[in-house]
This record gives sequence, C-alpha cells and structure tokens, in this order.
Amino acid sequence: MTVNEKTDNNFGGASVPASRLVSSLAPPIDASLCVPLLALFGGAALWLVAGSVLALIAAIKFHAPGFLADCPVLTYGRVQPAADDALLYGFCIPAGLGVVLWLFVRLGQLPLRGAMVPVVAANLWHFGVFIGLAAILAGDSTGHAWLEFPRAGSVVMFFAYLLLALWATMNFAGRRERALYPSHWFLVAALFWFPWIYSTANLFLVAWPVRGVVQAIIGWWFANNLVFIWLALVGIGTAFYFLPKYAGRPLQSYYLALYAFWMLILFGTWCGIPQGSPVPAWLPTLSAFAAVMVLVPVLAIAVVMWQTVRGGEKCAGLGGPYCFIRFGLVAFLLSSLMLIAMACPKISLITQFTWFGPAQIQLQLYGFFAMTMFGAIYHLLPGVVGFAWPFPKLARLQFWLSMIGIVLFVVPLAIGGVVQGMKLHDGMVFLGANQAALLWFRISTTGLLLVVLGNLLFALNIFALTAVWKLALAKNIIACVKPALETIPAPASLRGEEEVKA
Amino acid sequence: MSDESKFSNIQNPRTGPVAGGSSLLIGMILVTLVLMFLGAVYFDRHSGWFSKQVYGPYASVNQLEEYQPKSGVAAAAAQGKRVYETVCGICHGPDGLGKPGQAPALAGSEWVVTKGFHRVAMIPLAGLNGSLQVAGKDWNLSMAPMGAALSDADLAAVLTYIRNSWGNQGSPVTTEDIKSIRASMGGRPQPLNGSQLKSMSE
Amino acid sequence: MKNGFYVFLAAFVALGGSWLGFVYGPVHQLGGAGETAVLNSADTYPLQRPGDATLGLQVYRANGCAACHTEQVRQTGTACNVVLMDGGKNPVAVTNLISSLILTNLTKEDADKVSDKITAAGGKSETHIIATGPDITRGWGMRQGVAEDYLYDQPVQLGGLRAGPDLSNIGVRDPDANWQLTHLYAPSVVVKGSTMPPFRYLFELRQTGPAPSPDALQFPKEFTLPAGYEVVPTPEARQLAAYLLSLRANAPLYSAPISP
Repeated sequence: MTVNEKTDNNFGGASVPASRLVSSLAPPIDASLCVPLLALFGGAALWLVAGSVLALIAAIKFHAPGFLADCPVLTYGRVQPAADDALLYGFCIPAGLGVVLWLFVRLGQLPLRGAMVPVVAANLWHFGVFIGLAAILAGDSTGHAWLEFPRAGSVVMFFAYLLLALWATMNFAGRRERALYPSHWFLVAALFWFPWIYSTANLFLVAWPVRGVVQAIIGWWFANNLVFIWLALVGIGTAFYFLPKYAGRPLQSYYLALYAFWMLILFGTWCGIPQGSPVPAWLPTLSAFAAVMVLVPVLAIAVVMWQTVRGGEKCAGLGGPYCFIRFGLVAFLLSSLMLIAMACPKISLITQFTWFGPAQIQLQLYGFFAMTMFGAIYHLLPGVVGFAWPFPKLARLQFWLSMIGIVLFVVPLAIGGVVQGMKLHDGMVFLGANQAALLWFRISTTGLLLVVLGNLLFALNIFALTAVWKLALAKNIIACVKPALETIPAPASLRGEEEVKA
Repeated sequence: MSDESKFSNIQNPRTGPVAGGSSLLIGMILVTLVLMFLGAVYFDRHSGWFSKQVYGPYASVNQLEEYQPKSGVAAAAAQGKRVYETVCGICHGPDGLGKPGQAPALAGSEWVVTKGFHRVAMIPLAGLNGSLQVAGKDWNLSMAPMGAALSDADLAAVLTYIRNSWGNQGSPVTTEDIKSIRASMGGRPQPLNGSQLKSMSE
Repeated sequence: MKNGFYVFLAAFVALGGSWLGFVYGPVHQLGGAGETAVLNSADTYPLQRPGDATLGLQVYRANGCAACHTEQVRQTGTACNVVLMDGGKNPVAVTNLISSLILTNLTKEDADKVSDKITAAGGKSETHIIATGPDITRGWGMRQGVAEDYLYDQPVQLGGLRAGPDLSNIGVRDPDANWQLTHLYAPSVVVKGSTMPPFRYLFELRQTGPAPSPDALQFPKEFTLPAGYEVVPTPEARQLAAYLLSLRANAPLYSAPISP
C-alpha cells in the first residue's frame, strides 16, 4: 500500500471484499497478529464496557446518594477508582499495546513470530486487571490514586507487559524496513516508559512504602507519566501514522515531529505535582515550569496535524476511522491545554479539587486516547482477521455517540468545576458551592450515558468479528479434517458384516 | 528546506515519504528558549532553592525566618488554650461552664482559683472519684487522670489558661512547678476522692 | 533519529531525569524525616495516632473516602496582626495612636513599623502571625499542610477532589465521636443537602435490649428509628471515627509558622 492509495474512511476495508471468506485473504504479515490482537482487543472491549458502567453507577450516586448505598462492594469510594482503572488498565493499555504491535509489524514488514506468547501475555494482563478490580471492590485497594491494584494484580500485569514489550521489541529489532518512521520514536519510548514507572511506583508505594508525603510525590510522578506521557506517546505515535495515510499527504514535517517528541519527553515527564500541595515548594514549582514548557510540544503537534491535514483529503464526515483520529488529536490538544492551565498557581487556586480535574483526565483518557484507539482498531482489525466489520453502520453510529457523549460529559463538568472553584474562592459556604456545581454534573451524566452506549456498540463489533473469525476457523478445521477421516478404513467387524451381506 | 528529495532516505514504502524541514522550527526553538528563561525566573522566585522547609507561599528561607512568631506570655497562654480545646474542653465545655452530668464548671470554681498550684495540678494528674461540691453544686462523677499523658509544659500551660480565663484570676503555673509535683508523686496515684481533696494543701 | 538505540537513549535520559528529580530527590530529602519541634513549645509533632485511629486509616482507605475528601489545607499567604498588650504609662495617647493605625492583615515589614510606633508611644504590643487563604478562612485549618502532618500515615490519603469538605482538622472542628458516627450512618440528616452516601453497612441496626446499649448512636430529633431499635457501630465504624477524631494539623511548626 503506497501513500497515494485512497484509504477508505467508510469501513469498507479497502483490501478486503465484503463477502465473508476464509482468513487466508489476510496479508500474511498482518495475519500473524490475528490471535494476539483479538485477545488484547477483546478483553479491552470488555473492560471498556465494564468501566463505563461502573462510572455510570458512580455518577448516579451523586444524584441519588442512597442508590445502592447498602452494598459495600458498590460504595462510591470503590466504584469510582475501579471505573477509572478499568478504563486505563483494562482498555487503554492493552488496546495501545495491540496497536503498537500492529504498527511495528506493518512499518517493519516482519511478521510476528511465536504469536502464542503475546496471546498468553494478553490473557495474563486481563486476568491481572480482573484481580485488581475485584480487589478494589472488595476493599483491598492500595489507597494510591491510579495505583489501586494490590500486589496480586500488579505483579501479573507487570510481567504480562514485559512479555508483550519484549515481543514488540524483538520484532522492531529484526525489522526488514530499517528506516525509522516518526511513529517509531514515540512507540519505542512508550514501550520502555511503562515498566520503569510501574515498577518504581509499586516498589516505593506498595512493596516497601516510603515514609509520609513522599508517597504522594511518587504517586503524582507515576500518574503523570502514565496518564499523560505514556498515553500521549502511544496516541500521538498512532495518529502520526494514520493522519498522513488518510489525508493522502506526507507527514509535515520530520523535524517538527522530532522536536515535538524530544520536548514532550523532556518536559512532560516533570509535570504532575499539584500547586499548593503539602510538599516543599521546589516540587510544585518545577512542575509548573515543566507544564508551561509542555506548551511547546503541544504547539508542535498542533502544527504538524494542521499542516498534514490541511492540504489533504477532505473528510466526508462519515464517522469512519479518520474522524476518530482527528477528534482524538483535537481532544489531546484541548486536554493538554487544560493540564497546563491547572498547573498555573493562580488558576489552580480555583480549579484544584474541583470537577475540572476529572474532566481533564476523562478528556485525555477517553476523548483523546480511547477515540484514537477506536479509529486505529476500526482500521486495522479487518485486515488482520480477514473479515469486514459485521456491523459497519453501528461503527459509524458509535463515532457520533462517543463524540457527542464525551463532549457532553467533559464540557459541563469542566464548567461546573470552574463554577464550584470560583464560589469556594469567594468564600461561599462549602455546600452552596457544591450545589451550584450539581446542575452541571447532571448534564454531564447524560453524556456518560451516550458514552456507555457507544462503548457497547464497539464491544458488539469486536465480539461479532471474533465470532465470525472463530466460526470460519472451525469450518476450516472441519474442512481439512473431513477428507482425512474418509480415508480411514472401516473397522474389521463392520467389514465382515458387509461381506456377509454381499 | 522543504526539498523532499533531500530526505529520501527516510522513505518507507509502508508510509511514503515524510516531508523534511519546516521554517516553523526556528520559531519553535525561539519560543522554547523564551519560555525556559521565564521559567527559570519563576523558579528562582518561588522554589526556595530546594530547601525542604520552604513551602508554598514563602519564597525563601529568609522570608520564612522573618515570619517566625516570637515567644512570650501570650504564646504560653495560647498554647494552654490549644491543649484545653483538645483535652479538657470536650467535657468541661469550650467556655469553661461545664456540662451537667458530665463535668463541673471551671469558671468560678474554688478548686481552680487557688493560691497555690499543688492541689489544682493533682486533679488532672491523679483523677477524681466520688462526690464533691463545686461552687455550691453537688457532683458525683469520676474524672480520668487526663493530665497524666500531658507533658510538663502542656500541663502547666493549660492550668495557667484555666486559672486566667472566663473571669478567673489566678497565678500562672510554670513547667518547673509541674516537674516538682511529678517528682514528688512517685508512682501512679489513685484517683482522689472528695475528702482527700479537701484535706490536701493548696 | 536513525537508530532504535538512540530512541531508547533519549527515553532513558528523559525519564531518568524526572526519576532523579521526583523519586530519588524527595526520598533522599524527606524519606528519613522524623518528628519536628512545635514552635514555642517543648512538644514534638506529630504524635503517633492511637491504635484504633491507625486501624481507622485502613477503613478510610478501603472505602475510598479519599475519592471525595482531601486532607490538605492550602495557604496563599501569611499576614501579621499587631495586638496591644499594655497601654503603659500613657494609655490614652496609645489608644489614640492605634485608632489611627491599621493593625490587621499587615506584611511583616509594616507590622514591625506599627509595633515600633506603639513602643515609641510607651505601649507594649505583640505581633501575631496568621495564615491566609480561602481554606483557612473557611475554618478548615489554621495553617497549610506540611510533610510532617503525614509522617505516620501509611498510605497517605491526600485526596484529589473536594466533593466533601477537607478533613485535615476534622478532629478539631467536630471532636464528638457520636456526631462522626451519626454522620456516617445518615449524612443527609446530620448535614442538610449533603451528597455523601450513607454508610449503613458499617453499623448494625438491632433491637434494643433491656437497656439501650452505651454505644448506641444518638440521632438528632428529626431522625426517628423504628420503635425499639437502636443503631450500634461495628468495630470498623468505631475505628474510622477514632481516625477522624485524630485528624488535627494545627500545631505551629517552623515550616508553617503561626501564632497559636
């Protein structure tokens, strides 16, 4: 596929006919990824739906505090972290790893060897997430934000990630096309990023906890490097591959993308310590400095996107993968600007501890990363599995549901947070400020409902595609085995009966 | 700078050519340098230069030093008030008026405003049990030795505080006074009853 | 970059830098921290929480209270108030002087100037240091949170969202165990308009025996239980209440100086 070939934004699957044929039609390089990707994406879709349902339960509890209040497993303080972790660890990371594997295989033109290992690793990862979520709901959370999974879950997940990263690295090291494409920088860095931050956080906070407020400092460092940097690396790396493809134009430009990469990892990793926190002043000051510097890579990425998209194919607005990726990039720019704003001391005095923070996080997790992953998965999976999406219209509907849903979720929540913060700053009684924000919160819950519906459609498509593939696989096996069965001679006793009859 | 042929070595058949340079890059680098300079100034002003004692609104160790409150009589009385609010006030009331069925008033109590400090200090150190008359009212409750866990300085401060608040006019109690009482006490004393208290010297 | 190795190197340098700054640095600087002295007192701070309160922290963590409550007070500035202690030999003149001066919310410099003026007129004054900021004004604390406040907490529950009020000094604001327990059982009764869910599963609703249990909760008048029933806290509820009552962070310290 050269860059000039028109990429279909319409879920037709340019290289795959609409009729359902056997999977030998998948290009052999892509086909090596079939089972690992189905394992990764299938589990991810499951956690996506579970996470958004949990988030919905948590949101309803604000409108009706007595809702399911007698069930300790579903108390707000357990359901909310479980929802966040299900989205991040259950969906975002495995989906990201799957897309990384596909991009490495695609860009390097080397099929994935020994695909059983990534399959086992994918299942291990999902098992670890399951243990972790069950532990949170049972009351065994570690108590650290974004690191609530206790040792049982996190150790399993760590080794699963190491296996997947190792397989991706081996494929990258042995690639046939040796030239590095900008996406490679982002994705290689991301593979390396997670084990370091995850092991550090778990060792210093859970295994041999450090004393006092240092726990919070390391927790903030970890959360920033995972939720901001890791997701940005994988998401932008993915977007830098798909944007030129769909726009029909080369990425504009190499050095700007390189600059964005360097600035992002150099400065972005120092964000995270909130202003006014109970730590010595040099920590939040460094974070504020870094946050302002992050304006540079955000600007660079915006310029790259704008210049690449501007001269290229116009999007017909059909709700295809191109729409997902472009929305995701715009959401990245907005959520990064929100992050930078929250790090300015004067603004943070108003937005800190309000709903503005969760709004920014959800815009980043779902609006940017999940939407980018949806676009990538909708594009790549038919070519890998060898079948078209069973419900392409539902996939297009999902775009609208998810997009409107996340906008309806984030914007009122952010406004409500600012309203709450300003009233608190002016000295209003605490409950009054909370009540003022509640109206905006109600509107944002309707957005969450749309998001849940969109996620269900995505999961439906994935599971249906998996079922189609499995059915074809079963048919294939039977078709291969049947002739072999027919050549086996009948047992002696039966032959004897036939001779007597004859 | 946008001569794509210069960068043909990064052509990848999977993705096609990537355009080369960009004149915007120089602008980006300039913006970066300006922001770094501003950030360095901000860091110099607000970070306290990695001191582990300088927090938030303070800009430097010097400024922190300036704002340290000086000690004085008022400071001691304020310390006593703090101890009272956390230890004694729950039963004796934030205004020293006591709570019926829980604890007698300290305001205007003859057991508090005494000439000497010995008896008033023994009450929190040993505890009380049994019937006692306070300011004309009869009480028959027990008090745990709430002062036994306090430091000498804290107990002295809180006794000074109750002897000088809510209209009480009493002499202050010093840390040395409490030290000497504790030294003469020996082991853990039994809670005092009304007759023991009456016969004790002030 | 032409080589995968250089990408790895770039990532190593970038992440290594922030690891040194935000992991190694704080562990080195604050990791071995111990108790500090309280200003103008022989006490040290903080005190270890009593046993029940330490268990209560685990109940706090298990139920995710940090999802809605923070335990950190912010401070935006420090101000000085000058207080007249003694009129001296010429009280009328001193009183006239201070009626023409601003005595509250001064910077240290201005407070020293005012103080000098009063001394020159023969009076005696004292400068009180107070913390300022919306959290302080709201009564959530007398000073900002500092590292010493969390020395003995494992895990530290700073919280990130204030769907409910800040709890750093809840042991000073609401020191009554019965209030804390009734608030946990029926928050909307004790605090009108509260969105906090009721934690009834931390309690036992049971029939009153021959005499009401001493642990039974005393509810406000508006809340009536079914006849003959009482609410008794489970050990977890009692531990949680003990933890909440132990939350006090008002001691003046060198890093957060205030006049007590």
